[in-house]
Amino acid sequence: MTISRRDVLLGATATAALVPLAARAQASEVVIGVIYPFSGGSAQQGVDAQKAYETALEVINKDSDFDLPLAKGEGLPGLGGAKVRLVFADHQADPQKGRAEAERLITQEKVCAIIGTYQSAVAVTVSQICERYQIPFVSADNSSPSLHRRGLKYYFRAAPHDEMYSAAMFDFFDAMKKKGTKIETLSLFHEDTIFGTDSGNAQSKIAGERGYKIVSDIKYRANSPSLSAEVQQLKTANADVLMPSSYTTDGILLVKTMAELGYKPNAIVAQDAGFSEKALYDAVGDKLEGVISRGTFSLDLAQKRPMVGKVNDMFKAKSGKDLNDLTSRQFMGLIILADAINRAKSADGEKIRDALAATDIPGEQTIMPWKRVKFDEMGQNNDANPVLLQYVGGKFVTIFPPQAAIAEATWPMK
Amino acid sequence: MTAQAIIQSLASGLLMGLLYGLIAVGLALIFGLMDVVNFAHGEFLMIAMYVSFFLFTFFAIDPLLSAPLVAAALFVFGAVVYLLIVRFAMRAKANAGMVQIFTTFGLAIVMRGLAQFFFTPDYRSVPHSWLGGKTISIAGIFLPEPQLMGALVSILAFAGLYFFINRTDFGRALEATREDPGAVALVGIDKNRVFALGWGLGAALVGLAGAIMASFFYIYPDVGASFALIAYVTVALGGFGSVFGAFAGGIVVGLVEAMTALMLPPSLKSVGIYAVYLLVVFIRPRGLFGSI
Repeated sequence: MTISRRDVLLGATATAALVPLAARAQASEVVIGVIYPFSGGSAQQGVDAQKAYETALEVINKDSDFDLPLAKGEGLPGLGGAKVRLVFADHQADPQKGRAEAERLITQEKVCAIIGTYQSAVAVTVSQICERYQIPFVSADNSSPSLHRRGLKYYFRAAPHDEMYSAAMFDFFDAMKKKGTKIETLSLFHEDTIFGTDSGNAQSKIAGERGYKIVSDIKYRANSPSLSAEVQQLKTANADVLMPSSYTTDGILLVKTMAELGYKPNAIVAQDAGFSEKALYDAVGDKLEGVISRGTFSLDLAQKRPMVGKVNDMFKAKSGKDLNDLTSRQFMGLIILADAINRAKSADGEKIRDALAATDIPGEQTIMPWKRVKFDEMGQNNDANPVLLQYVGGKFVTIFPPQAAIAEATWPMK
Repeated sequence: MTAQAIIQSLASGLLMGLLYGLIAVGLALIFGLMDVVNFAHGEFLMIAMYVSFFLFTFFAIDPLLSAPLVAAALFVFGAVVYLLIVRFAMRAKANAGMVQIFTTFGLAIVMRGLAQFFFTPDYRSVPHSWLGGKTISIAGIFLPEPQLMGALVSILAFAGLYFFINRTDFGRALEATREDPGAVALVGIDKNRVFALGWGLGAALVGLAGAIMASFFYIYPDVGASFALIAYVTVALGGFGSVFGAFAGGIVVGLVEAMTALMLPPSLKSVGIYAVYLLVVFIRPRGLFGSI
């Protein structure tokens, strides 16, 4: 048998291709990329998210006594006890930087999956890169409905999206109307990136279907130096309910400007984001007594499920804050992803994808008030029930749906 | 659209515009004096807001009272920035313009980074200042007191600056150095001292603006960015180098912004500013009050 130069080349290529695979399979650690804004206007969300992921990492890598996937025992048993390592990358709320960072994480850091991203606009580009490299992307806290409708095979979201949240708000309005509360007109106030736009669209659509009248629909420029003209229009419209979809900075300015211009709506029902942030309540909480925000998490749940309180304590020790709507989703996102990697028994993107697609975690094994975690063919978990929370006496209480509620809604607010 | 809505928008626009003017004046002063665009101007504003915030948090000094202190602190800061950094950037023989741009731009990034490191990226605000959240209502028109005070401070500061430039020896030295930096050395004026004074004054003015703004705006390391862009447009609109132009430009920008938001969808409100700006530079390239 003669060995030609061509055979040598082929053999070398094959070996070169196999080496990294073999190295990955036997690795004592699994690397996951985490993409968040760590600088720029949303940096605080990134910093808080990092603490949430580190909390999840502790649950996965160390032995703990929670009824969560992977909590008992150390590391991933499916990969011989391999530990999970996180690599954090900063996207600065810029979709293009997100794209570049995702590419870097996959090609340089050799991550087997990516989780992120706070801003939906960034999730769009990061998930496209993941799709191209056949690496799963877990959208932990993005809520734009259009994200999972792009037919991506490697995209997964365990949390609800804004149509589900908005539907819950309107279910709540319907229930309040049955009790005799006057809710006929709505004002929408949403920022102009994909989060606010999708949220505004979802709310307009459902309002039309259920016979609510939108008297003003204000799409505003994010991070504007002044919102007085916008608030002026909201005040003129004077709807029964104001429905803002804003990040923290705009939320603070909105509430301050409303007070300055003497606008006090009967009720504010917010699409989370800034309205779930401690910073916003530190700044203007005194003007927000009775504000309602949608959520996917509630600390109330600790009364029924003690592990929620314990996980919260772990997170609080790291961050000084209670878990909120965002950090709870980030925590759960990593647990769900690590569970899939464990079941895939591999760090191969396609195998993890298949394991994610086969996920079926009952709600009791999460820290969320969800029915279960099970993805549809689009990668969306439709069993993630949203809740509505009301800010009363300096904290949030669950007021809707009835099966999760621990208090009646105060309406009008104040 | 009711008459009341129009008057309210004009009033809000005017109050905001005076503040834009105050922010832009410092930028125009430095540019007029030595042809350097301070790309860290927004970060100067950010530092001023933090100083005011910390004076309130640790010493319970109201932003209104701390404004002179903040202005004084920023004066020193501005002069030091000139003496330690900008002075050397101006010595560049080749590509002097580029070197200056990258120097102040780099300074901006460093300041933002340091602010994030030391103050964390969390959003702060002064929750209970004397004027914060208070509003005067005249015939259904709401005039928030912090912004009213901002407008008043802005007018006073501008008047003071005008007096300083036109009526004092230092002001004359400033003007002379601006006219001909080479010749003033012959009459014994130290160019570096005048430039440092100019940077100090420019920073002090934006310091005043920052202190007042701390009582009604949120504070975080990137807060300067939203205002800096408007300040550059304001300066260009009013006329490069003209302190009066920057002040008038600020008022125009505030009014145009408010009226655009009233007539067009609010997400397009900055379009109005840039449309007016384009129109002005098209008809009068030097800006409304520009002399160069």
